[in-house]
Amino acid sequence: MSNLPISKCLSWFGVSALAISVVFGFDLSIAAAAADHAAESTVNTFISDEKGGGGKGAAFVFWIFALSSLGGAIFVITRNNMVTAVMGMVGTFFAIAGLYLMLYASFLAVMQVLVYAGAIMVLFVFVIMILNRPEDEPWVMHGILGKGVAALGLLYLFKRLAGILWEVKDVQPLVLDKAALNVDVVLNHSDPALAAGAVEAITRTYEFGSVEGVGYTLFSKYLFPFEAVSIVLLVAVVGAIAIARPTEEESAEDAAEAEAAKEAS
Amino acid sequence: MITIVPNDFLYLGPLAVLTLVGLLLILAEAFAIARSRRFLMQLTVAGCVMAVIASIYTWRSLEPGGHVTAFSGMLLVDRMSMFLCTLFAGITGLIAMLGAAHQHEYNWQVGEFYGLMLLAAAGMCMIAMAGDLITIFIGIETMSLAVYVMTAARRRSRAGSEGAIKYFLVGAFASGFLVYGMALLYGATGTTNLQGISRALAVTHSSSLTVAAIFMLIIAFGFKIAAIPFHMWAPDAYEGAPTPVTAFMAAAVKSAAIAGMIRVFVQALGGDVVPFGQMGWSSIFAIIAAITMTVGNIGALRQNNIKRMLAYSSVAHAGVLLVGLITAGIAPEGEGLASVLYYLLAYSVATVGAFGVVVWIGNRDRERVLISDWYGLGAANPAAAMVMTLFMLSFAGIPPTGGFFAKFFLFKSALMAQDGALMWLVIVGVLNSMISIFYYLKVVMAMYFREATGEFKPLNSGAVTFVLVACGFLVLQMGMMPSRWLSYLGV
Amino acid sequence: MSVFYDITVSHFLVLAAALFTVGIAGVLLRRNALIVMMSIELMLNAANITVLAFSRGFAGNNHEAAYQGQAFALTVIAIAAAEAAVGLAIVVTVFRTRRHSDIDRLTMLKN
Repeated sequence: MSNLPISKCLSWFGVSALAISVVFGFDLSIAAAAADHAAESTVNTFISDEKGGGGKGAAFVFWIFALSSLGGAIFVITRNNMVTAVMGMVGTFFAIAGLYLMLYASFLAVMQVLVYAGAIMVLFVFVIMILNRPEDEPWVMHGILGKGVAALGLLYLFKRLAGILWEVKDVQPLVLDKAALNVDVVLNHSDPALAAGAVEAITRTYEFGSVEGVGYTLFSKYLFPFEAVSIVLLVAVVGAIAIARPTEEESAEDAAEAEAAKEAS
Repeated sequence: MITIVPNDFLYLGPLAVLTLVGLLLILAEAFAIARSRRFLMQLTVAGCVMAVIASIYTWRSLEPGGHVTAFSGMLLVDRMSMFLCTLFAGITGLIAMLGAAHQHEYNWQVGEFYGLMLLAAAGMCMIAMAGDLITIFIGIETMSLAVYVMTAARRRSRAGSEGAIKYFLVGAFASGFLVYGMALLYGATGTTNLQGISRALAVTHSSSLTVAAIFMLIIAFGFKIAAIPFHMWAPDAYEGAPTPVTAFMAAAVKSAAIAGMIRVFVQALGGDVVPFGQMGWSSIFAIIAAITMTVGNIGALRQNNIKRMLAYSSVAHAGVLLVGLITAGIAPEGEGLASVLYYLLAYSVATVGAFGVVVWIGNRDRERVLISDWYGLGAANPAAAMVMTLFMLSFAGIPPTGGFFAKFFLFKSALMAQDGALMWLVIVGVLNSMISIFYYLKVVMAMYFREATGEFKPLNSGAVTFVLVACGFLVLQMGMMPSRWLSYLGV
Repeated sequence: MSVFYDITVSHFLVLAAALFTVGIAGVLLRRNALIVMMSIELMLNAANITVLAFSRGFAGNNHEAAYQGQAFALTVIAIAAAEAAVGLAIVVTVFRTRRHSDIDRLTMLKN
């Protein structure tokens, strides 16, 4: 068990996860029998319901995005050339942003494109350019047996998850028109000191999922996580610089090389 | 509906202190205000002491058994969270002292180290005070990202970067499971608030969505505490990291993960019964705990590198802590939670101490991480050998140390839960404690009954000596006078 | 064929589960550190689709729950960016010390 290569570590991790899912499989049947439908009854949306303004057009759009995101994902994990993989990933992220739009998360769709496709993937491309190495043996499990077992395990996990998630929909379609998506939010200060200062309750209306709506949530109820994320980002920035910058000897070597090149020319 | 009350900021105490001093340290490093690294260390320790004071102050201002929510339920502050914040800040301070000596001796002066360490501690406090899944997620990521960087901080060391990438890839994989689990839990209950989840589950019992969510969360947290079968990164990351960072991972990160598990499993998903009860989490954890204790101890028996041995031993201790968690989950009115906290304290102090001796004994020419390097320490330096013996006894659970009482208390409360439903687990645990005596005593035997190979040239650092003395004193004090600590825990 | 015409929240959830599985497959089967990291990003995205699909489901009758999901998804995006930055920095460090990023050839640590 000591000194496992990392891919073996990851495989071991995944296989254990699958094994636990088999154990849970036993438990799931008990739990599913005893389940009541409270969770299901709150989630009851037909995205492409005729009355909701979707219909077959929405279905068409969904399938386009779904197939392109799934196809892009499979494309990513099967490529040997890393730049191609990154491009596939960008396509996947755009498709996922489209799915977010269908889910009335317009602000998040924009963020998805800006942060993932615009920033993270560019970072990946930079690192690929720094490394600049072709990949030799890309696949971990060489034997057909290992791959077969892994594929079967993953299919089993997917079947269980999909089985559970497919049950989530309810029979009653919900009418989701513009009016239903307008949210009334009452801002009131329960703190008596503030309330005494003649702060009246403000009623505002905005569209669900808009910048205004998400922003309002982030700066009121989610103020703490919003600020706390900045600590994570700071740790990431400082940490990345601390370990990725050249050490003093390496900068000295680089300087010496540059000097030598200058003299040679 | 939405309010930010100025009072909420009062409960931020330790979190705010750690974050601000962390920022100050990063700025001090960036603008080279302090060329002397010693000053950075002193500032770190001062920050930790202030955080300890802030948490104790907040602890005193809270009702026993009561809790306060702040920032619209994002934070849930109770005496347990303040106890844990004190623990995290204290450990961080002690490890900063070890870190300064180690950096100086092995010449890897990375000034960002201290700032990142304090921000990691802030992340841990966030987990301990979390009232919402989002807060737990942010806390875990703050802590983990900082620790990944700290693992790789000794940049000339190939082992360091190798341990770091292993730790990072497996950790990021686990955080994928964590987020997916939280997403499913949100779908099952309609809220991310922990109290809200517990209220929603009281009505709906368990839908299959909840069970799938619990499955994902078990994988994610299993990784963080290095429970088997999610432990394989631990020996390599522990060995590759600089020794003070290893101590930080073993003591503080593990305690913080346990704090997160208390919040998520015991408090939000709580009220489970064994075997294969409503949620099923305690049954799965019971199996994982038994395997973790056994395999961790057997793995430790085979090691001759002391850092790897302590890594496997910390895996085994994670198993014991899981027993306590299950107890707290299935018998909420019992003493399970207090016993977990007491165990965390005893385990962390002994871990910091043991790694402190590992830091103390080595030097630039010879790091002395193999057990054969420890031959003859008892004759050469009786005081250090005696302190190390104390820590080993505490790990093995032999009186008169804190570890003995912690184990006794934890197993006793496990026996009383649900009419002895955990009897078999306690028997496995006690048998494992006996196995563990072998390898802990192997170190003691090496120190006292073998001839030294070469002269010992330990680090001559007052800070390290202080850490050893403080930890040794605490281990003894916790073993002989546990009642005071128990009264802090509300028992 | 109403399964194809009537798109429900479940469609999104099952799609997310499929993406999650593909992400796990990438982590398990590939040995290039960068592709493994991209697979992990896929897993996080799958989780985000799940959150937003549930949020869409709750939007009809529980706005607070729906907005919790949106805030959660935004947090996940921000943290995924931070994680990618640190991960890439670690990959660069590994590459600096040994001139390759194949995770299986890192076998220095021995017992």
